[in-house]
Amino acid sequence: MNAEPATHLSAPPQLPRRRLRVRGTSISLLAPIREQAEADLGFAVDFELLEFPTCQRVAAMEPEGYDVYEQCFHNLDIVWFWGALQPIDINRIAEWDNISDLAKQGGISKYASRGHGDAPVKKLYVQPGGFLGPKPSRHISMLPTIYNMDSFGYDTRVFGLGPDVRPSWSWLLDGRARGRIALVDEPAIGIFDAALAAEAAGELQFADIANMTIAEITALMNLLEDRRAQGYFCDTWRDGEEAASLVNGSSVAVQSMWSPVYGQFEPGHDYFLEAAPAEGYRAWHGGASLSRHTRGAELDMAYEYLNWWLSGYAGAVMARQGYYISNPVRAREHLAPEEWAYWYDGAAAARDLAGPYGNIVVRAGGRRSGGTHAERARRILIWNTVMDEYNYAARAWDRFVRRVRDGVAA
Amino acid sequence: MIRSANPLAQEPRYELVTRVLRDNIRNGNLPQGLVLLEGPIAAVMQTSRVPVQSALRQLLDEGLIHRFDGRGYLVGSGQQTVTPIRHDIRDLQLDIPRDVDDALQTRGTWLHVYDHVEKQVAQCQIFGEFRIVETELAEYLGVSRTVVRDVMARLQERGLIRKNTSSHWIAGPLTARTLREKFELRSILEPAALRLAAPHIQYPEVEALQARIGSDPTLTPEYLSEALLELCIARAPNTELVDLIRSNRLLLSAVNRALSVLGLPRDETSIDQYQTLFQLIALHPIDSAAEYLRDYLSIIERRYLARMKIVAVVSVTGGFAPYLISQ
Repeated sequence: MNAEPATHLSAPPQLPRRRLRVRGTSISLLAPIREQAEADLGFAVDFELLEFPTCQRVAAMEPEGYDVYEQCFHNLDIVWFWGALQPIDINRIAEWDNISDLAKQGGISKYASRGHGDAPVKKLYVQPGGFLGPKPSRHISMLPTIYNMDSFGYDTRVFGLGPDVRPSWSWLLDGRARGRIALVDEPAIGIFDAALAAEAAGELQFADIANMTIAEITALMNLLEDRRAQGYFCDTWRDGEEAASLVNGSSVAVQSMWSPVYGQFEPGHDYFLEAAPAEGYRAWHGGASLSRHTRGAELDMAYEYLNWWLSGYAGAVMARQGYYISNPVRAREHLAPEEWAYWYDGAAAARDLAGPYGNIVVRAGGRRSGGTHAERARRILIWNTVMDEYNYAARAWDRFVRRVRDGVAA
Repeated sequence: MIRSANPLAQEPRYELVTRVLRDNIRNGNLPQGLVLLEGPIAAVMQTSRVPVQSALRQLLDEGLIHRFDGRGYLVGSGQQTVTPIRHDIRDLQLDIPRDVDDALQTRGTWLHVYDHVEKQVAQCQIFGEFRIVETELAEYLGVSRTVVRDVMARLQERGLIRKNTSSHWIAGPLTARTLREKFELRSILEPAALRLAAPHIQYPEVEALQARIGSDPTLTPEYLSEALLELCIARAPNTELVDLIRSNRLLLSAVNRALSVLGLPRDETSIDQYQTLFQLIALHPIDSAAEYLRDYLSIIERRYLARMKIVAVVSVTGGFAPYLISQ
């Protein structure tokens, strides 16, 4: 056996890099966010980006795979009750007091409409017995971050343009767009787009649209199946990229939409506009939660990351794709005045505005559909919600989506 | 599951059938050349055709019967030519020993297959509406239609299946509404029964259980829920009320078991609440115990509803038993 050569240089110390694992969706897991977080925080941030339904399932069933979970409040009904998360101590959140009333109270003012369904406050605070509810306590289920009021996008060449045109959810079932309609495939979201359309079109009425009965769900699915058999739907989509390609391929005349998608159109699709629906918006609120398994140094890093999210930079990036943040004051510090004026105040863009990746997403003179933040927030009709009969609804919805995608004949 | 004391009841069914046929061939009750058909033998043995098929194959291997040009088998080794005798086996006086007969009867009772079927039927309805085909179920279990009917009657009594307008057995879909209605009934009936039961409860039993809750980590919420029923509520001197309470709970416990099998996290948070409940009962102010029970039921109702939502992310794996037809 040879002795170790005495002249061997000692290897540089191999310190494992500190690493935080974040699981989420394309809504918030953006490269510019990760890069800046790593630079500011001094540890690695791994993003695991999944589409909505998959993300929710593995977050619930495999919580050992992440430290921070970025998703929407409505799917706490799944992930929290699976026991996958641990409560967040608000005493460790520096910006807690600056978080908006929309998240903490359910409306932007005492008198603003709360909308149907589960406003985030209904799932915010940890209550005795492990339930979630609106009664303030020291522990929360999810730190409120980004949110938006969603609607649909439409082709002005089909539905018209000008002050007399009043976009309505009913357009998602409108004969003028037959064969060129697409819905978002997430049962706690897409089913409400369809239900709002059915109600606005006068086809169905729901006693509580955010908590449908089995009979109401069946009636809605029957209506959708009937329209599908008549060839109304061309597709469904699961993320912004798929939604954008439906517009870019000129496949749709009207479809469910998310705000960032409007910045992803190729030139020549200016006729596809964001609707400010006469009936109001379908809102959602995102946030960040902690895995039940995260503790020690990882837990400290996770809290640092949560606090970083509310420190301004992330809020500014999110604004550039049309999302609001729960503490806008800090984000404003990172936005140019023209950016703030366009995204939050509904003013005409004073110049071309760039999106999160630096490409131009808004042309000078453009104006955000629906007006100011307050105008839009006052018109929340419904929040994305996991209904009591969600298990039944989600399975019925999946069958519908499969038939649309497979193009099953009537 | 109830097990018979008869050791033969544990033997596979086809072996019992084989034994009976073999003995009756040897003692001449089944004469050489007799045509053996599955259907009539199954009827005599009160079993399905599946074990009869296996038994006949076994006897063929043993050289006691042989194939011929027609349907079925002929008794005898087949070395000499015999004229087939067509005679309904049901008219022959077969020698079936009492213990074998008992074992066949016992094996045939629904109790031996019920738990298995209940689990599958409770679980499938989480995924939607299913039709149960009786003949397929008989085939699947290797039991007679009579046994299947007993099983169906029990499932219906437990609220797990119902008949639709075309007289088909239907299971599911299990909905939040079903659960809410069951709990509504519970919160009306169980506190009322507890009040009636107060003078009849054996309080030392309750105190003993209460003492165990703190020290015995093996006690599950399911066990405590049963104990609450048996030691307290069921002591109410109104048997109809108690029966109603029992049958109303059956679906809920079947669902609870099915959800746990699917891998849903167990509900461990209610142990403390049971302790408080038994404490209040032991202290005798039965009104406060009844009020606490009512509150507690509304909490577990919420837990059940929450569990029903999260089950939406569980996907169907491995398919369903062949007798369950998705509607």
